[in-house]
Formats: sequence, structure tokens, C-alpha cells
Amino acid sequence: MQMVAYESRSSVNDIQLITRVVAGDAAAERELYEMYVDRIYRLAFRLAGDDELARDFTQATFIRAFEKIGSFRGESSLSTWLHSIGVSVSLNGLRKTKRQRNREAPMEEGLTVGSTRIEADPDLKERLARAIDSLADKYRTVFVMHDVEGYTHEEISGTLNIPVGTSKSHLFQARSKLRVALADFAPEWAS
Amino acid sequence: MTEDNFEEFLKKAAQSYNAPPARTPRDEMWSAIQAQRAAGPRVIYGGGSLPQRPARRFGSRIWIGAAAAAVLLLATGVGVGRWSARSNRPSANAVVGSAKAGSGANEGAGTPDTAVSGGTNAVASTQTDDAGGGETSPSREPPRIGGTRRPAAFDGTGKVALDAPPLNTTSNPNGNSAYQITTVRHLSEAEALLTSFRTRSAADQQMDAQLGSWARQLLSNTRLLLDSPVANDPQRRPLLEDLELVLVQIVQLSPGSTPQDREMIEKTLRQDHVMTRLRTAIPAGPQRGS
Repeated sequence: MQMVAYESRSSVNDIQLITRVVAGDAAAERELYEMYVDRIYRLAFRLAGDDELARDFTQATFIRAFEKIGSFRGESSLSTWLHSIGVSVSLNGLRKTKRQRNREAPMEEGLTVGSTRIEADPDLKERLARAIDSLADKYRTVFVMHDVEGYTHEEISGTLNIPVGTSKSHLFQARSKLRVALADFAPEWAS
Repeated sequence: MTEDNFEEFLKKAAQSYNAPPARTPRDEMWSAIQAQRAAGPRVIYGGGSLPQRPARRFGSRIWIGAAAAAVLLLATGVGVGRWSARSNRPSANAVVGSAKAGSGANEGAGTPDTAVSGGTNAVASTQTDDAGGGETSPSREPPRIGGTRRPAAFDGTGKVALDAPPLNTTSNPNGNSAYQITTVRHLSEAEALLTSFRTRSAADQQMDAQLGSWARQLLSNTRLLLDSPVANDPQRRPLLEDLELVLVQIVQLSPGSTPQDREMIEKTLRQDHVMTRLRTAIPAGPQRGS
């Protein structure tokens, strides 16, 4: 997995790039985009699970970043700042999408009334996906960032604006809930 | 069963969770970003609308305002012109009618209108169209018969063909000046747009998008003028047609277009001398900006 080295503050290169973007240099905007788009898109896709939504979130992230880059003070690294926008945009977007789906749900539920719902025993992949989806946003985000995408607790802390200890705590909670949800598969990790 | 085993198992199994595609659609997303930014303030996820950067917002507002004013002015001008033209047609018929009723050898010569027109045409061949374009149009002058202007649309039956310009519109100076002013303002706008296009930064894609929006409005107006009596003028028509071509090219210039696309527009401008012809067609002085 390609990772950008974590820095607590903006590097000289970041500052130069930001200065050019603020000055309206279109090439610098493209450069900034090319540097971070892969990670932002991957994270948005992991959170959304849908290509169209991931694209929307990624685009909105960069649009917001270009609009607000003038107010970026360099207190965190550019990567952290961009990721915090990306996560915020993605989670807010998903909440909105979820609300819309909930409004549509009653009609779909109405169609299934009276029918017996028979489900095949889901395999591990499916069960895990559902278990992760059912986690609270704060746990799911930390879990996805750490265990799936490989971010460090420091990066997560900077991105989500939470203490490192809270990030670790959220990850612990997430793993505990997943462990319960995947209890049927215990022999697979016990062996 | 150890904690470490579970963590390893979980990390491995979770790799399939919402697995993103191997290839990031970079170019598609970049194009979408450029298009959305060019479209102006927008609602984004997370609520609220994003303002443009102050300097650019101010600039685009001026452009949008100017373009809207130009459209309004042009539409009013064309409307007034057409209304005037319509009210002028009966007098043209009357001229033809009276010519038929008269000697027949000198159609319209007995009317004050054509007498004036004939006198002018004898020197400068000035013909005004049904809306009073007020343009000099030597090649449109119908052939003369016996020293009198022979109306091309006159078929000798006392009727005037519907699509033919009236014989004389000097009796309607209001329509004349309305088209004149509208056309001059439109050409001034076009000149401003093309000047902006030529002087813009090649890397400023947002500027391209704004110019595209402006060009789209001017393109509509150009087509309106091409469909109006103004286009009957043999000098104005080619200019409007060349202008239409350039505007279409600018409209089609996407934010991600290559320098070659822009060069093609520049080439059209140079080859057809569009800027020079535009400036020649726009009179200097207060009328230009008014």
C-alpha cells in the first residue's frame, strides 16, 4: 500500500505547493490533486462501498480543499488536512444518503410483508462486511483507517481531530464488537 | 485462540471490505472537479455552500452581469426591430400597390419614399432592409430597369414575396436605429470576449469555463442576428458567420482542452481577420459603449 509519510506539520514542499495554489496556479492544483487523490479516493471508497459515492466524495473533498486552502495555517501536514476534509465529507455524505435510504425503506419493507425471509448462511466475507457496516461511525472509521487502509494512530488522530488514546480505544471497541459478530468463525483464527 | 491471531485474521479478512478498484479514475474526477468549480457556488456534502475565492467571484459576477445585460439588450433590440419591421410592411405593399396602379414603367417613383431612396441609391446604392439595418449594401441592390430600382420580389402582380425585404425602410428610422444599436453592441461584446480570450492565461481553466459561458450567450445572440434582417447585409453576414464559428469553438472548449484546441481558435481568428473586421464594424465614439 502506497503511503505518504506522516508529518505533524507541513513540509517546505507542502508550503510551496500551497502558496502556488493560493496564487491561482492551475498546475499546482493539479499537482496537489495527483499527490493525494489515490489515498483520498481509496478511503472514500472504503467508507462508502460505492464507486459513484466515492467519486462524489473525492471531488467534493478537493473542491472544498481548493476553496479553503487560503485558510490553511500549516498546523498539521497537508495530507492530514486533506484527509480530515475527506473523512468529514464522506461521513456527512453517507449520513445524508442513509437518511434518504431510510425514507425509501418503508416502501421496500411493505413489499416483503407476508413473505418468509430465508437467508443462506452468509460466508465470512459477507458476515464481516455486515458487521463492519453495523459499527458506529466513530468505530468504523478508525477500524477502516487502521486495520484496512493501514493508517497509524497518529495519522488517525490528526485526521479525526481526536487524541491518539481515543483512536486506540475506538479501535479496541471496534475489534471487540467484530469478534462477537464473528464468533461462529472462531475456529478459523484459533487454529 | 489469542488476541494477536484474531487481529491478524481480522486485518486479512477485512481487506475485502469495500475493496476499491485497482485504478483510481483520476482524469474523470479531475474533469468533474473543474466543471463543478467553473459552475460557481455549490452545495457540498457536509452542508452549506462554498463561496468562490473573492477575486474570482467578483470577476465572474461582473461577467455574468454584463452577459445578462447584453442578452437583455439584444433581445429588446431584436424585438423592437421586428416590431418596427412588421409595422413597416404595409407601407411597402402600399408602395408596390401604388406603383402597379400608376404608370407601371417607374414603380414607386411617384411615392415620396422611393423617390428619396432612388436618389440615394443613384449615388451610394444604399439600401436598408425591412428592419432598417442602415448598412451599405451595394451587392444587394436589385437590378435597375430604366434608371429605377427594380424590386427583386416584385412579380408584376402587385404582390410582394413574403421573404423579400421591403423596398424601402427609410420611412422607419426607429427600426433602423434599433437594429443598428443592437448590432453594434453585440459586436462590441464579441470584441470584448475575443480580446479576453486572447489575453487570458493559457493555464487558467476556470477562465476558459467563464469565457465558454459568456460565449454561449453571445452565440445565441449571433444566431438571432443571423436570422434577422441585419444578416441581409452582405458585409455583416460573413462577419456574423465567422463570429458564430469562433464562438462555437470557444463554447466547445472544455476545461481540460489542450493548447492545440486553443491554437485552432487563435488560427481562425487570425486567418479570417475577425478582430480587425469586428473593430472596423464597430464605430468609434460614444455610440460604441452606449
